[in-house]
Amino acid sequence: MNNIIEVKNLNFDYTNKTILEDLSFEVNQATFVGIIGPNGAGKTTLLNLLCGFLKPKSGTIKLDSEDIKSFTVKEIAQKIAVVRQEFVPVFDFTVAQTVSMARTPYLGTFGFMGKTDRQIVNDALEATDTSQFATRALGSLSGGERQRVFIARALAQKTPLLLLDEPTSFLDLKHQVNTYDLLKAAQLEQDKTIIAVTHDINLAAQYCDVILLLGSDSKYRYGCTRDVLSTEQITKVFGVKIYCGKVDQEHFFIPLGKLAKDREKANKIQ
Amino acid sequence: MTDFLTAKKLSTRVFACLVVLIIIICICTLIGTQKISLMKVIEGPGQIPGDNIDYEIFIGYRMPRVLLAALVGAALACSGVVLQAILRNPLADPYILGISSGAGLGAIIAIISGITWNLWAGSPLAIFAFAGSLITVWLVWSIGRFAGGSQVTSLLLAGVVVNAFLSAVIMFLTSIAKSEQLRSIIYWLMGNITDKSPPVLLAGAVCILAGIICLFIISNRLNIIALGEYEAKGLGVDTEKTKILAFTFAAFITAIAVSLSGLIGFVGLIVPHAVRLIFGPDHRQLLPLSAIVGAIFLVIADTLARTIFGLEQLPVGVITAIAGGPFFLVLLAKYTKKVSWLK
Repeated sequence: MNNIIEVKNLNFDYTNKTILEDLSFEVNQATFVGIIGPNGAGKTTLLNLLCGFLKPKSGTIKLDSEDIKSFTVKEIAQKIAVVRQEFVPVFDFTVAQTVSMARTPYLGTFGFMGKTDRQIVNDALEATDTSQFATRALGSLSGGERQRVFIARALAQKTPLLLLDEPTSFLDLKHQVNTYDLLKAAQLEQDKTIIAVTHDINLAAQYCDVILLLGSDSKYRYGCTRDVLSTEQITKVFGVKIYCGKVDQEHFFIPLGKLAKDREKANKIQ
Repeated sequence: MTDFLTAKKLSTRVFACLVVLIIIICICTLIGTQKISLMKVIEGPGQIPGDNIDYEIFIGYRMPRVLLAALVGAALACSGVVLQAILRNPLADPYILGISSGAGLGAIIAIISGITWNLWAGSPLAIFAFAGSLITVWLVWSIGRFAGGSQVTSLLLAGVVVNAFLSAVIMFLTSIAKSEQLRSIIYWLMGNITDKSPPVLLAGAVCILAGIICLFIISNRLNIIALGEYEAKGLGVDTEKTKILAFTFAAFITAIAVSLSGLIGFVGLIVPHAVRLIFGPDHRQLLPLSAIVGAIFLVIADTLARTIFGLEQLPVGVITAIAGGPFFLVLLAKYTKKVSWLK
């Protein structure tokens, strides 16, 4: 299998705080990668490095075996679609207009869409369950609805690689699961590579093939989900007690605070 | 299937609005303190020049002035659209980056110093105003860059500070101006359309139309930039280049408009919003339609300014503010209900 992304000895810091130190990993095509870690561990920073918006201090990032610096913004936009955290729109673009902007990297100066482009946009709206508010203004939607619109846009961009920054943070349970199902289906059926930053360890444990666990001390672990997501690792990296359980094939993790109902048991665990 | 903007839809709408603009230009050219008849105008100039007075007034005096109003209106409205998009701020207008105060300072220096030389048929007033506005925009841009890189907030702040500083200088110069100069200063600051010679008009027209066409070419990128810097980059738009192009062309057409007509307020702020309320925020459509609506608005406002008190002409800026404000409020009340949240 081909490596779609290769990160080698990556270093990055903001003025005087080291964020990423000597980070190296490779991502095969058609894998689902979860990036997990506490606040400030550099998850979003890493995402911005991977799509070329930030320049690494040292080290290299290769996209399709070529240095990411050698691509133009337009070329990157044809390979990587990014879904960012919540943002506030200034003007009242409609949902359909927002999603159709995904076709920009493939269109001419004025961005008029052909028949296939329109079909792609409509399919993306259908897939994310957003077509019923296609003509509404983006600003009139709830945070969760808007998040689905941006996932629709990422799908309509038709890129081999999807980067998502907490794609389910505003979603209800049904849409959380639907979104991950949708991403998983894109991975399995269309061979897309998916890299998602998430705080939801349980969803990550269910859907991701590979996990990159970033610690706040610039240490990291990278490997298959079952190996990385262990009680010891999570306790160590997040600094909380964890109750780990298993139902059939699925592992789940529940954080236990000092004052939780089951706190005595929690204290016994460790 | 959802409704998407196509080249055909866009050109039909632009064409329809152009027809309205042409009709309004013709009607407004016929209106004035001196009554003229359309029939006599159509008869043509006649054998000897000056034979057909109605034709002379129509072609020689009113048409250039009406066309000037149309050009200035189009330039200000377009520039407003573009600055609101790249600054991602609905309160932005063509003057926000210091063009108004820079041009004002230039104009006042020209008036006070009493220079009378002409350059390519342009008056010293226009040339000083043009130079003043471009120098100020360059200054604001450099300060913004120096202070905060590519962030738009620092650019906005730089614009506000430079505007405030230059306004103080303008007030100082106005206070020491001779009383006979005061009237021209005040009229200029309020925005005043007067007759211009055909070569000046033609040069202005070429520059403004070229600027608007360049902005139209990047209009689709403005859509995406309005979503934000990172979003735009993620969709393959070279944000740096687009922003520089947009600023340059917007500043250029505003500077030309200002040097031709003084500081006409309100058009650049209100027209983009009005058009956006009715036709939506897609810049491919918003930009050309705002240009046309801006032209219509200023042609009508100028017709009022030159007829409402007979031979005593008002500065057109007074009309745009007095008539534009309430008109916009009506639009706002009517369309915000229909279009967005309260659906």
